[in-house]
Amino acid sequence: MSLLDEVVSVPRRTMTLFFMIDTSGSMMGNKIGAVNDAVVNVLPMLDEISETNPDAEIKVAALEFSNGASWLYSEPKLASEFVWQDVTAGGLTSLGEACSELNTKLSRSGFMQAASGSFAPAIILLSDGGPTDDYKTGISKLKNNNWFKAAIKVAIAIGDDADLKVLEEFTGSNEAVFTVHNIDALKQIIRVVAVTSSQIGSKSSSAGDATKQDQVVEEVKAQIENIDGAEAATQVDSSSYSDDWD
Amino acid sequence: MIELKPGSKVDLTIGGQATVIKELGRGGQGIVYLVDLCGQKMALKWYLNPLGDKFYKNLEKNIQSGAPSDAFIWPEYLTLKTKGYYGYIMKLRPANYFEFGNFLLAKKNFKSFDAMLAAAMKICDGFMMLHRFGFSYQDLNDGNFFIDPSTGDVLICDNDNVMPQGEKSGIMGKARYMAPEVVAGGIPDKYSDRFSLSVILFMLFFANHPFEGAKVVACPCMTESYEKKFYGSEAVFIYNPNDKSNLPVRGVHQNVIRRWPVFPAILKDNFIQQFSQEKLKNPTTRMIEQEWQKLIAKVRDSLVVCPSCGEETFLDTTSDECKCMNCGKVVSIDRYIKIGSRSLILTPNTKLYIDNDNVADALVVSNPQDPSMLLIQNISGQKWTAETPSGKIKEIEPKGFMPVKTGIKISFSNISKGEIIA
Repeated sequence: MSLLDEVVSVPRRTMTLFFMIDTSGSMMGNKIGAVNDAVVNVLPMLDEISETNPDAEIKVAALEFSNGASWLYSEPKLASEFVWQDVTAGGLTSLGEACSELNTKLSRSGFMQAASGSFAPAIILLSDGGPTDDYKTGISKLKNNNWFKAAIKVAIAIGDDADLKVLEEFTGSNEAVFTVHNIDALKQIIRVVAVTSSQIGSKSSSAGDATKQDQVVEEVKAQIENIDGAEAATQVDSSSYSDDWD
Repeated sequence: MIELKPGSKVDLTIGGQATVIKELGRGGQGIVYLVDLCGQKMALKWYLNPLGDKFYKNLEKNIQSGAPSDAFIWPEYLTLKTKGYYGYIMKLRPANYFEFGNFLLAKKNFKSFDAMLAAAMKICDGFMMLHRFGFSYQDLNDGNFFIDPSTGDVLICDNDNVMPQGEKSGIMGKARYMAPEVVAGGIPDKYSDRFSLSVILFMLFFANHPFEGAKVVACPCMTESYEKKFYGSEAVFIYNPNDKSNLPVRGVHQNVIRRWPVFPAILKDNFIQQFSQEKLKNPTTRMIEQEWQKLIAKVRDSLVVCPSCGEETFLDTTSDECKCMNCGKVVSIDRYIKIGSRSLILTPNTKLYIDNDNVADALVVSNPQDPSMLLIQNISGQKWTAETPSGKIKEIEPKGFMPVKTGIKISFSNISKGEIIA
C-alpha cells in the first residue's frame, strides 16, 4: 500500500460558538419563535464552514437564561450533531447567573478541553430587556476570564426595551451591539452574526492589525445595511422604526 | 439589492450583459454565481462588501494585463458598479479540481507522488510567472489552489487580490501562510510570497504545517497574539536541528512523522534551510522559484516504481543499496539514462521527465516477449533520434518504443541528449 493512502486529516483546532439566549417572559411569542427558527437554519451553514475548513472545526453550545440559566447540552457539539430543541420563554432575566455559568464553562475543565487546542470562542448574546438579577458580579467574573477576554463577542438587542448599556458592557464596546426591530431582521441578523463570527473565528487570523473582533463587527455592519429594521448600536435612531412584534 | 438572483443581469464594462443562472458558493468576501455570457457558462464573483475604488481599478488593470499563465483562473471581465456593488467574470473551475484544503483534511488524496511533484512544479511556475509580471500575492492560503488529484495539475484562483508589488490590496492573508514580517504588519511582496511558497510546498509534501509542533499543540487557546508569535516573531521549524522545542507530536502530526523519513535528503535539507532563523529574518535570502523547480526536478529524478511491489519509491542513489520505502526490497539501479549530470533510473512503469515542461516524456515498460528486457516508450509529442553503438540511426516516433540497451545515444531534442547504461 502506498504511503499516500495512509494520510490523515491535519490536526484542527476547535472554535466553539456560544449562543446566550434570553428566554424571559417578554420574549414569549414570535420573538422566541424567530430565534428558534433562525438557529435551526443557521446550523447547516456552520456545519459547511466547519467541514471545509482545515484550520478548525466548529462546535456549538447554547445557554438559555430566564429564572436561572441552563445549557441545552452538557458539552459543545458539532453543528451537524447539534439537534436544536426549541426554547420556550417565561420568567425573569437572570443575565448575571448566565454570565457566571458561562464563566465556569470557559475553562479547560469546562467546555474548552479540545485535544488539539482551540481558537478563542465566539459568543453571541441575545436579549430584549434588562437583567433582573445582580449581573455586575457575573460580568466582572467574565471580564477576568482569559477565554472571554480573547473571545469574539457580539450582542443582539431585540427591540427598544433591551438594555444597550448592559449589552455594551458584555461585549466591551457599543460597536458590537446590534439592534433589531422586527422578526425578519432578528432572523437575518442571527444568521449574519453566527456565520460571520464562525467564518472569522475559526480561521487562522489575518496578518495585520485588525483583530477578529474588529473584522466581525465591520462585516456585520456592512451586511446589516441591507436589512430593514436592523442597526448598529452606534447610530441609534429608532424613531423611524415602529416596533412591530405581533 | 446586494445579492443576485437567477435571471438577474449584470452590465459589463466592455458592454453586454451576463445573466445569473444560480449560486455556486459563498465565502467571506462574496458570492460566486454561475452566469451565462453570450451562450458561454462562466463564473461571476460578486462582492458583498466591496472594497474601495483602488481595488476596482486594480481589477480593471489586471484584466487588461491578462493571466500570467494558464495556471491562473484570472478575472476576465469586470461589471459596472450597481449602487457601489460589483464583481468580475472568470472561467469556471472544472469539476475534477479540488481545493487544497480538501487534501489537508484527507478528503482528497494524491493518486501518486508523481502527481504530487507535478503539483509542486506547477505551483512554483505560477508564482514565478506572477512575479515576472510584477505582481505579488496578498491573500495567499489553502483556498487559493485547486488541484487535480490524479494528474497534479493546479489552478490558482482568487486572483482578485493580486497587486503590483509594493502595494496593499487591503485583503490580508492568513497568519499561518504569511511570512513573519507580514504577520508583524509588513506589506507582502515577492520575498514574502517566497516564504508562503515554502509553506505551501511543505504542506503539499508532508500534509502538516512546518511550524506546528509540540510548542503549538501545548497552547490551549490560539489567540491572535499567540498566532503572531508562533507564525511570526517566535516561529520555530518543527525539524529545526538546532532547536528541538517544536518537534512534531506522535498521534497529532502523523503525516509528517510518516513522510519526513522517506523524502530525499536534498528536499529535507532545503526545507531546514528555508525555515532556518536566518531566512525567516532575512527575506531577500529566500530561495527563488526557479531554484525550487530545479530541486523538485531532482527529487522527481529519484522517484521510481519498485519492481517488487509496484509502488512508487524515492531512491537514494548515493547509498550502497537502494531499498524500496514500501516493501524494503532492494531496487536495482543498474539500468539508467545519463543526461548530463542526471541519472534517470529505469524500472518498469517509471515515468521519465526529460525537459522541464512538467509533462512526462517517456514511460519505461517491460518487453512483453521477455519481461527481463525493458523498453522505453516515447510519450512526448516529439520524434526522438537514437544512435546505436554500431552507429545506426533510428527514429522513435511519438508512441513508439525503443529497447534499453547499453551504449544507445538518444537525442530527445536539439538540447537534451542522453545515453543508456544497462
